[in-house]
Amino acid sequence: MPFSWAPMWRFRKPLPLKHVMLYGGVLAYLVCSWPVWALATATPRHDESLSRGKALYEKACLLCHGRTGEGNGPDAFYLGAYSAPRPQDFTGAEFKFRSTASGELPTDADLFQTITKGIPGFMPAFRGLSEADRWDIVRYIQSFATVNQETASTPILLPPGPLPATPESIARGQEVYTLLDCAKCHGPQATKPGGLYAQGKLRDRRDLPILPLDLRHLSSFKNGHRPQEIAQSILTGLDGTPMASFRETLSAQPEDIWHLVNYLISLSRSP
Amino acid sequence: MNPPCPTIAKYLLLLVSVILLSPLLSTPEAQAIPAFARKYDVNCTVCHTRAPRLNRTGERFLENGYQLPGTEDGGTTKKFRLGDLTLDDVTNYLGFRMRGNILQTTHYARHASGTNIDGNPEDRTEFGFPEVFSLFTAGTVTNNVGFFAEIESNLGEDETGVERAFLTFNNIGQHDWGHLRIGKFDPSAYSSYATLRQQFELVGDNSVDNGSFMLPTMNRIGLTPAAFASKFHGLFDRSGTAILPTAPSLFHAVAEMGLDIHGRPFGEWFLYQVGILNGANEPFGDSNNPKDWYVMTRFDLAQSDYFSANFSGFAYFGSNNAKVSTMADVSWSRYGFATNVRYYMVDIYAAFVVDHIANLPNSFNNTFDETATGLTVEANVLATDRLLLGIRFDHLDAGGLRTQRTSNSLLALIAKFYVRSNIALFLRDDINLRPAQGGRTPERNFRNAFFVGADVAF
Repeated sequence: MPFSWAPMWRFRKPLPLKHVMLYGGVLAYLVCSWPVWALATATPRHDESLSRGKALYEKACLLCHGRTGEGNGPDAFYLGAYSAPRPQDFTGAEFKFRSTASGELPTDADLFQTITKGIPGFMPAFRGLSEADRWDIVRYIQSFATVNQETASTPILLPPGPLPATPESIARGQEVYTLLDCAKCHGPQATKPGGLYAQGKLRDRRDLPILPLDLRHLSSFKNGHRPQEIAQSILTGLDGTPMASFRETLSAQPEDIWHLVNYLISLSRSP
Repeated sequence: MNPPCPTIAKYLLLLVSVILLSPLLSTPEAQAIPAFARKYDVNCTVCHTRAPRLNRTGERFLENGYQLPGTEDGGTTKKFRLGDLTLDDVTNYLGFRMRGNILQTTHYARHASGTNIDGNPEDRTEFGFPEVFSLFTAGTVTNNVGFFAEIESNLGEDETGVERAFLTFNNIGQHDWGHLRIGKFDPSAYSSYATLRQQFELVGDNSVDNGSFMLPTMNRIGLTPAAFASKFHGLFDRSGTAILPTAPSLFHAVAEMGLDIHGRPFGEWFLYQVGILNGANEPFGDSNNPKDWYVMTRFDLAQSDYFSANFSGFAYFGSNNAKVSTMADVSWSRYGFATNVRYYMVDIYAAFVVDHIANLPNSFNNTFDETATGLTVEANVLATDRLLLGIRFDHLDAGGLRTQRTSNSLLALIAKFYVRSNIALFLRDDINLRPAQGGRTPERNFRNAFFVGADVAF
């Protein structure tokens, strides 16, 4: 006898199976929803700013950064899937976008800036939130921290600049690009990823392959593309990624940072 | 003479070949930022698992009337002011999508050669790209006032017109308390398993209209989710056009005219939706005074560890919203549940829907099944950064005229390769799981449909 699905789904008179299914389903639905209700209404109270920050975080940030702030929200995987980036882990010590030295936590203002500016390609700018709202979120984000830093984070000082983008400055910047071995990751002339990427050696803290920034497209600079922002990224490094801090390397000739910045900006104008 | 066995093996071989060769197409460049993402300077993957499917952020963005979740940024982000006007650059709200089957081949158990006979259609292999072209504009007029309009040209269905168009008024009262939609919209947009934005594009039936209040001649059933389908044989809309059993309807209509309100007044875990519509399959106006209305609730569970889950329940109450062949009005209602579970690269959907016809004339008492059900289960897996694999099972326990009604079970497979996050090529195969049961109905006669297609949004 051939297999038939019909007995599984067909409801015939006078059997009240369809009613049983329907009402049973409604009952099961209500029963299943009860734990959600109970959990949601069992949230403990915090002080006012933290509570506001939590409420905003749950609407605007949780879907990527997760309930526990570990960067593992429901949308986190699909952002880069099997490649970096994944959303920032607020519980750890490695923050990409900082004005502080490598290894230090970001300042409050750094977190506020990232929320305000967004990250091109991966995080929208939340300028639509009021300043007070954004500070509340900063406060709540900091409550995830599990790392105790003995001294307060302080921004590093950028050398005086930027310098005018003269041909000489750009030429010197190209020399600095070679001296710092930037081509290993970003490629010679920045036209394609460097050898370390091809060898699969560029990985982030989650061991995900990470594509070096295409330096020819200023709009994709994740920490912003103003000269000061580019200089800051080079000097502080992007913790948790292979992009190291070049602060010490450049300390002998601090003005080189601005030559390098001028060279990088010039790449975006190259044909 | 019966045709040779459907060449599924050949297609599977092709599918495997494309999958194996697909890495050759990939480039290590950053993915493009396409149309709708321009305004917020983000990649498609901020709002889509893989386009067109929305992720949770995309769902919240939609719920919030095209404003970032948690914000009311409709009047500020990328806006400039001219007097009392707040304007966007046109590129920030204009986009298009082009999709269709570059190659489509359909096999039947019994087929004619050269002629198309009732219940005995011919096997076909044809080119068809682009089958559907959509021009859409969406965004915000100012804070908490949004708009959406989509003009679609569907060559396959020989239709061009306004597919959807509506205004949204958001955050009425308090943030997330109520969002109002007015216009022609898709009612199921906020449920766990929405009709639109699926990886498996809705493929309409292949049928011939035989006139008002006449049953159509169907060659191939529509390849649509059974849970969302009309499910009945012998139902007509109020103008007398047959409602095909596999066409999405009621709560799962692609678009109907009305208004609805939804919100999350108690937090992110609970969503309500209440709506009222002119009725089922009403292109414009309301040919019958009574309205259809619906209610939907959705519960969102855990949202961490790359895991999320939600489930929805809805009830749609129709009132004189369809007719039977005697032109008598009937009331067609729908009840159902849907769920979505997402964990890392796995994305699973399921929906079980019961349709019921009330006020059936006495003359149909023994000839018309007034209850029908549909079950759809779908799973998608993002196998690599660029390759999405999917499978969908549909079981339709049809209702309606007992001389016509035939249930069906289908399995659909898809492999979708994303050249960029906004450019996808796909292979799809829809297989009839019950051809061996014989018969000349389109549900049995259909064996297999294979598609090679492209989906581009910009």
